[in-house]
Amino acid sequence: MAQILPLFTSSVKLKYVKLGYQYLVNHILTFLLIPIMLATALKILRLGPVEILNVLKSLRFDLVQILCSSFLVIFVATVYFMSKPRCIYLVDYACYKAPVTCRVPFATFMEHSRLNLKDNPKSVDFQMRILERSGLGEETCLPPAIHYIPPSPTMEAARGEAEDVIFGVIDSLLQKTNLNPKDIDILIVNCSLFSPTPSLSAMVVNKYKLRSNIKSYNLSGMGCSAGLISIDLARDLLQVHPNSNAVVVSTEIITPNYYQGKERAMLLPNCLFRMGGAAMLLSNKRRERRRAKYRLVHVVRTHKGGDDKAYRCVYEEEDPQGKVGINLSKDLMVIAADALKSNITTIGPLVLPASEQLLFLFTLIGRKIFNPKWKPYIPDFKQAFEHFCIHAGGRAVIDELQKNLQLSAEHVEASRMALHRFGNTSSSSLWYELSYIEAKGRMKKGDRVWQIAFGSGFKCNSAVWKCNRSIKAPTDGPWQDCIDRYPVHIPEIVKL
Amino acid sequence: MSENRIRVTVNSKLTWVSSKPLGGKPHELSALDHAMALHTVHVIFYYRANPFERGLFDSDFSLSDLLCMYPPVMGRFARGDGGNWVVKCNEAGVRTLRASVGTTLDEWLRSADASEERNLTLNEFEGGGLAIGLSCPHMLADPTCATLFFKSWTETNRGEPVRHPPIYHLPAANARRSLSMGINSIKYLGTKSKSAESPSEKMATATFRLSHAIIKQCLAQIHDECPDATPFDLLAALFWIRIMRLKMPRHDQKHSLSICLDVRKPVHGPIPYGYFGNALHFSLLSLDAELLDTAGLGHVAGEVHRHVADLHGEELLSGINWFESRKGEIGQYAQPFRMYGPELTCISMEHMITPKGSTCELSMYEAAFEKGEKPVHVTYRVGNVEGEGLITVMPSPEAGLARTVTVTLPEEQLAELCEDQAIMDLQPTMLLSGKT
Repeated sequence: MAQILPLFTSSVKLKYVKLGYQYLVNHILTFLLIPIMLATALKILRLGPVEILNVLKSLRFDLVQILCSSFLVIFVATVYFMSKPRCIYLVDYACYKAPVTCRVPFATFMEHSRLNLKDNPKSVDFQMRILERSGLGEETCLPPAIHYIPPSPTMEAARGEAEDVIFGVIDSLLQKTNLNPKDIDILIVNCSLFSPTPSLSAMVVNKYKLRSNIKSYNLSGMGCSAGLISIDLARDLLQVHPNSNAVVVSTEIITPNYYQGKERAMLLPNCLFRMGGAAMLLSNKRRERRRAKYRLVHVVRTHKGGDDKAYRCVYEEEDPQGKVGINLSKDLMVIAADALKSNITTIGPLVLPASEQLLFLFTLIGRKIFNPKWKPYIPDFKQAFEHFCIHAGGRAVIDELQKNLQLSAEHVEASRMALHRFGNTSSSSLWYELSYIEAKGRMKKGDRVWQIAFGSGFKCNSAVWKCNRSIKAPTDGPWQDCIDRYPVHIPEIVKL
Repeated sequence: MSENRIRVTVNSKLTWVSSKPLGGKPHELSALDHAMALHTVHVIFYYRANPFERGLFDSDFSLSDLLCMYPPVMGRFARGDGGNWVVKCNEAGVRTLRASVGTTLDEWLRSADASEERNLTLNEFEGGGLAIGLSCPHMLADPTCATLFFKSWTETNRGEPVRHPPIYHLPAANARRSLSMGINSIKYLGTKSKSAESPSEKMATATFRLSHAIIKQCLAQIHDECPDATPFDLLAALFWIRIMRLKMPRHDQKHSLSICLDVRKPVHGPIPYGYFGNALHFSLLSLDAELLDTAGLGHVAGEVHRHVADLHGEELLSGINWFESRKGEIGQYAQPFRMYGPELTCISMEHMITPKGSTCELSMYEAAFEKGEKPVHVTYRVGNVEGEGLITVMPSPEAGLARTVTVTLPEEQLAELCEDQAIMDLQPTMLLSGKT
């Protein structure tokens, strides 16, 4: 008891010291300015009104001088305002909710696996072990073509899934934002593994009869981080085109990519990837400022493809039987951690408060000069952000990031619950997580959100958003009917 | 016949699950359920118009919603603690097959063989028409609750509330009752459990549809000898006599008919109508061979009637309790034996008829997916029937006194039965008898 008390008091003292240091460094300018302003004010007051008038009369003001200086001020101000990057607003977004007939409980998945892989019990066992530890729930959905025994992944079925998901999500977005399809100036669709001709963006233009001078882009092959790449592209385009709307659709079409062979490293995606999609409306119009939900602050992209190991870490290839699948290498986590570190090094100075940056700088200098054995200081990102959306790539990814960034269980709750309810929906998972936070009523005006996505290549992309207006629960969205059941406790291993 | 054999082609196979995750306790099976383990139940509904034109995934989610009420239907069998079978409610799903048939509905009903009808399949006929078949192990469900499951599906599809939601657990009061009555049935079941396996012969099936007018005429004929005869009594007696004539005559012995009745009562009964599981009672009616040969139809019908009337309440339940009493030391249920057979067995579906005002309502023919689209025909089949044969007496869509009788016999005997004069006198419409 006596031993715990000093520890407690010392830790409490440390906490206050830390808080004090943070307040001092973050508001250093205020601390410096206030005494100076006070001193000047006192001096002026002491002088008295008559003295002040005399001082003013002694400064001879010429009319020309006044005009020139005011024109200079106006000129500088105009240049400043014109060169400021436009504000990009996220007006609203919609997430796809699959029909209940597409639901795949564990038992059904395992039974199908046993029937489809009749001659490979070891592969079936492997799938079962992965599923037990995956962190997925019983309500994730697979497209109809995969429900058949054996699965029937035809191109027609893939197009059917693409139409269901993309049109479903765009209809939802148009309804939420009251947007006229003719007002869409920029359209970006990203879907990594399914790329038909004509492209999916052409499919959207055809269905909604969009304008003939629309700027449409279709990004394929860019993996799970393609969602943020699309946002980056939209941002750049909105800087060039004033007064425009951009619609970004992120999805992953599962039908054509369900691996039908027996290699274990390639069976993993079958266990984790599920149907999902999201559509976002971005705008640089000033009048959207009132109703927009978020404002885009930063997008940081890091590409580790220059390193051979990172490049081959998620690789699509044919297995010895000729069946195409995505091979996930064993050091995926190590490479992901490395990519994250790279990304943090760039984003840190942009978002961290001065106190954290100074500490990081001091420990860096200390390690270089004094003692290399000092532990590297991991900046506390919880001070820079209120909410975190970590791509729900798998339970291991979320665990790794939670450890690296020292986040609490509540910070990663959105990611874990999205993984449980929807599975790994690839590039759209970030939006399901954001929707979770809103549905729980935790999003307040001024909150900052950090979205982190990993993808093949190997890429780590981040986006920082600032909440523009408080979002009241209950919200309409994919969590509408089940938010009350969450959060659930997800056991380490589910008994199958 | 051979060119007709491969007329059904399976197009696709998938699994159907409920719309919400349920996660329940394992569903325990009763002693009677265990006893039925050797058999399977097949119920097939024929419709003139296909209610699932656009395919299962596009239709309303009626089956998914229905399965929320029936977790055991989606589960899988597993051995529980104590070695008894339970149904693990793990939502593995209902296996659904979609097949197309190379003929039209009418032609099929005229000429198909019983063996061509299959499991939970949606068989689409050329020119429209659909047959939906449900197959399940007898351990899980008997024909009545299979029919109620299907009927609930049609009710959900029409948007109506389910009339008879499934009840999985009987009120505890029925669990323990004394075995005071029904000595005969207990003795019968005891001998059945020890009877040896009879040699298996190739069985064939034929269906006879008898009209309301004909049955009324026959009932009038036997009115003197048996005033309260029901159509079931009449038909059971008639077919029994005709079939016995065809078999090798054994004048020294008694002929037996095993009568299978459903124990459920629509209202106020120990076992409610909605009970999901097996609730069947088997009893034996024995008559001297000579009596059977010489006595008239009326007399035999009277015997059947008396036998059925004597079975009531306690008697029916005592049979079920007998199974319970055969538990082993660790609560393990005894090995199953062939319940349908070796004697000629006759199944009654009279309990599916509920009188409603001046007409009556037939449970199985109320299963309409869309208003007014009632099934054209319903087939019941029990798998793994051995011995002398099986007779099923069911209501006809014509309602009233009309009945449909399905007879399963060894092939040659069935061929002779179809030529039998007494039966031809009733002017039956032959369905699904394998002849063109």
